[in-house]
Amino acid sequence: MSIAVATRPALGRDLRASLAELVKLEHITGGLVVAPDGLVIAADLPRGIDAEPLSALAATLGRELELRGPRLRRGTFPMAQFASVSGIVFLGSTPVGFIVLLGEPQADTDAVRTALRAAVGTVYRAWAR
Amino acid sequence: MLVARIWHMLGGGRRRRPTSAQIFRQAQRLRDQGRFEDAAELVTEALMHEPGSVVGHLLAGSLHMILRETGQARTSFERVLALEPTQPRALLGLARISLEEGDAGTCRDLLSRALARYPDFPEARALLELTRDLARNGSTSSAAPAASAAATLVPPVAAAPAVAAPAMTRADALAADRLRLPPESRETLFMRTDATLLFAEPRGPRTEAVAASAVKLARIATAVLARAGFGPLRHAVIEGAAETTYLRMDDAAILTLAFDRDVTAATAVSHLERMWGRCRSELA
Repeated sequence: MSIAVATRPALGRDLRASLAELVKLEHITGGLVVAPDGLVIAADLPRGIDAEPLSALAATLGRELELRGPRLRRGTFPMAQFASVSGIVFLGSTPVGFIVLLGEPQADTDAVRTALRAAVGTVYRAWAR
Repeated sequence: MLVARIWHMLGGGRRRRPTSAQIFRQAQRLRDQGRFEDAAELVTEALMHEPGSVVGHLLAGSLHMILRETGQARTSFERVLALEPTQPRALLGLARISLEEGDAGTCRDLLSRALARYPDFPEARALLELTRDLARNGSTSSAAPAASAAATLVPPVAAAPAVAAPAMTRADALAADRLRLPPESRETLFMRTDATLLFAEPRGPRTEAVAASAVKLARIATAVLARAGFGPLRHAVIEGAAETTYLRMDDAAILTLAFDRDVTAATAVSHLERMWGRCRSELA
């Protein structure tokens, strides 16, 4: 017996589709959507990168930003980027979790942040309905 | 209600009501699809019929975490452990909550218990490595201030009464003048990577806790970068509701500058790099 309820996700509710669009950006090598408890909702990562440990740590980072932020202020952090010499991690915060993108050092950070901001906004609007 | 709706759609009276196991499986599917409110509704209803379900309480804990209901999540995970003391996901859930609350010791104990029972548990292993790194670097508790500010940037003449807040403020003012702080900056912090505060403008009662928080954040970000196959954190940009914080660091020190959202990224980064050069020269 199946008890599935067939529905088509509204725009912004289909997090896999949102991620699929974001990883098409130039110099973005992969990404994932992770719930605040570390559960992987969607992942498209380069070979050799394990989703589980990355999602566990990304959720920890997202929650730390949510709870304290860089200035110990609880509240929203729409977006953050963390760069090393060899790559960049972008993190977007949504009501259902965090969108994480992995980028090469030459990624256009302004363009990626603009796209991520748009995706985060779409998810917010979908969840506010 | 959702169970009744699903049952009704399936023909209600002609078919048997779904079992709790079926409902939990459906709730899990809904959670995996990101339909958290629907999943939570199903789990709550099913737990009323089967209050001793480990799967049900585990799902409830996960959903409470997702919905940022930390207290309820803790209760759910504790119920799981009362039923199954080594349940790894419940141990991980409680460990996460402990880490969020700055209790790294409890976090480590819980993760160690999970790994003792299930050594192949990559999430727990990653978090345990992180908590060990935080402990090594003195940023285990975001509430605990860093070591006393042996302010390297404070000139000797002002450093003598270092415990007196007004003297520190004067010292900071002198350092601010020497470092030529950008006028747009709302807050500047310069600290060692062990969270020893070297300079702050403005300085208040929570400044050292803020510095400790920034160090902890940098450590977690470095762990994320490492898991993504990248090197240690060097730059960060964190957008908040009202302001954006820019961070620059190396193996020895961290500088953060906070600007209003209307300051352009190019201006902020340019200030950050100039300040970073001056701060590192002073430290050297």
